[in-house]
Amino acid sequence: MEGDTFIDKIRRSRSLKLFLLLGPGLIFLAIFFFAPFVISLMLSLGMLDKEVYTWYLTFEVTLRYYIRFFTNPGTVRAIILSFYYASVTTIGTLLLAYPMAYYMAFKMDKRMKTTAVFIIFLPFWINFILRVYAMRFILHEAGPLQQGLISIGLLSEPIPILGTDIAVIITMIYSYLIFMLLPIFGVVEKINKEYIEAAYTLGAPPLKTFLKITLPLSKPGIIAGSLLVFIPALGEFVIPILVGGGRAYTIGRLIYDNFIRISGILGWAMGSAAAMVYIGLILISTYIYFKFVGREITLI
Amino acid sequence: MSMVDRALKIIFWSIVTLTYLPIVVMILFSFNSSRSKLVFTGFTLENYISLINNANVWESFINSIWTAAVVVLVSLLLGILMAYAVVRYKPRGSTLLDSLIMVPIIIPEIVEAVTLVIFLIIVGFKLSPLTIIIGHVAFDAPLAYLVLKARFQGWNREYEEAAMTLGADEITTFFKITIPLMMPAILAAAFLTFIWSYDDFIKTFFTRPTGFDTLPVYIWNRVARGRLELDINALSTIIVAISFLFTYVRMKLVKE
Repeated sequence: MEGDTFIDKIRRSRSLKLFLLLGPGLIFLAIFFFAPFVISLMLSLGMLDKEVYTWYLTFEVTLRYYIRFFTNPGTVRAIILSFYYASVTTIGTLLLAYPMAYYMAFKMDKRMKTTAVFIIFLPFWINFILRVYAMRFILHEAGPLQQGLISIGLLSEPIPILGTDIAVIITMIYSYLIFMLLPIFGVVEKINKEYIEAAYTLGAPPLKTFLKITLPLSKPGIIAGSLLVFIPALGEFVIPILVGGGRAYTIGRLIYDNFIRISGILGWAMGSAAAMVYIGLILISTYIYFKFVGREITLI
Repeated sequence: MSMVDRALKIIFWSIVTLTYLPIVVMILFSFNSSRSKLVFTGFTLENYISLINNANVWESFINSIWTAAVVVLVSLLLGILMAYAVVRYKPRGSTLLDSLIMVPIIIPEIVEAVTLVIFLIIVGFKLSPLTIIIGHVAFDAPLAYLVLKARFQGWNREYEEAAMTLGADEITTFFKITIPLMMPAILAAAFLTFIWSYDDFIKTFFTRPTGFDTLPVYIWNRVARGRLELDINALSTIIVAISFLFTYVRMKLVKE
C-alpha cells in the first residue's frame, strides 16, 4: 500500500504486535536466565571446554565433575545435613503456622484479620540478613535472653546454642514461618464454614470434624506452604554461615565453595554440577512428596 | 471461650511476640554503651554517630537505591509489555508462556546466581553494577509480570473500546486509557520489585564487582565473621523504622 509506514504495519498485524510486546521480556529471559542455565548444565557435563581464550563444544558427555563432586567426603554429609535442616524446618513451621492460620481464619473478625496480617508481616520487611543477625543476640549464651532466664532462675547455666544445629533450625523456622503461614491462611480462610456447621449439626465431635473436614480441606495450603519452605530451605546459605558456624555445611555453601574456591574452568564446572545436583534433589523430593501427599496445589 | 480457643489464642500471640523479640533486643542494644556488647550497661547514641559518619554505609546505601531504581524501571517495562500482551491478545500457548516466565521465580536464587555468573564469565562480560541489574531484572521482570497479569485480568475493557469507538487509535488509547487504568497495578508491582531488589543479597553477592557493595552486602561483610557490631544494630533500627513507615504508608495507599 502507498504510504504504508512502519506504525501502520504494526497497527494491522497482530503477530507483529505480539512480537513487539513479548519479545523484549522473553529475549531478556532467554539470554540471562535460560541460556546461563543451559550453559551451566553443559559445562557440568563436560560439553564445553576452553583452550587458552576460546570456548568450544566437545560433543561428548562426561560425568567426571559429578563423580568428583560426589566423591568429595564433605558432599554426602552436606546433602544429608541440608535435608535434615530443610525437613525439620518444614515440619516446625507447619506445626507453628497451622494453629496460627486456624486461629486467624476462624476466630478473628475481618478487621482483626487485616491487623493480624499487618503485624505478622512487619518483621519480614526487615532485611533478611539483619533478622538472622538479630537472632545472634537471642541465641548467644552471654546474651540478654539466656542471662535473663538465668537471673529469674528458669535456667541454671547458659546453654551454648550458637554454632549448633539447633541454632540453625530455630533461625530457619523463624525466617521461613511466613512462607508456611500465608498459603495455609489463604486456604483455611476460604473453607466454607457451612461444611463444619453441617458436621456439628449431624453430631460429629470437634476433633472428628477437624480431622475429617477442616484438615483435608486445608491440604492445598499445607502442600503449597511445604514447598515454599522446603525448596529454598534445602539450599539455605546465609543462616548456616551466620548462626551455624563451620560445622553447618549445607548444599548452598557447597555450591558457593565449589564455585569460588576452585579456580578457573574446574571451579565453574564443579559449581555448575553442585547447582544441578541441588535442582535434581528438589525435583526428586517434590516428586516423592506429591506421590505420598497428593496432587492438589494452590499457590497463595 | 472454650479451652481450645484459649490455647489457640495463647499460641498465636506467643509466636507473634517471639518473632518480634530478636528485633526488639537488637534495637535495644543499638543504644548500648558497653564494650562487651552483650551486657547492657548504659544508654548512648555513639553507635548512631559512628554509623552516620561511616562513608561506606552511605555509599552502599546509595548503590542499593540506584540499582534497585533501575531494576524497577526495566522490570516494569518488560513486565507491563508481557502482561498486556498475554491479557489483551491471549496468544496461543499462553499457559506454556506463563510457566516459562515463572521459572525464574521458582528456581532457587543461588542456582540462578551461580549459573548467571558462569555465563557472564564465559561470554566475557565483566562484572559491574550492570551485571547486578541484569541479575535482578531476570527475577523482577517475571515478578512484575505475575503481579500485573493478575490485576489486569479482572479489568474492564469497555473504557478502551469506548475510546476507540470515539476515534482514538490503539496507541493513543494505550497511553491515555490503558496506562492510567493500570496505574494501581503498576504501583503495586513497582513496590514489590523495588523491595525485592533493594533487599536482595544472594544474587547481588555473586554478580557484583569487587568493591561495589549494596547495603545487604555491606551488612553481610560486617557480620559474616561472627562478630557483633553495635553500629549495625543502629543501622537495623533505622531500617526497621523506615520499613515500618513504608508498610504503614503502603497500607494507607492500598486502602484508598
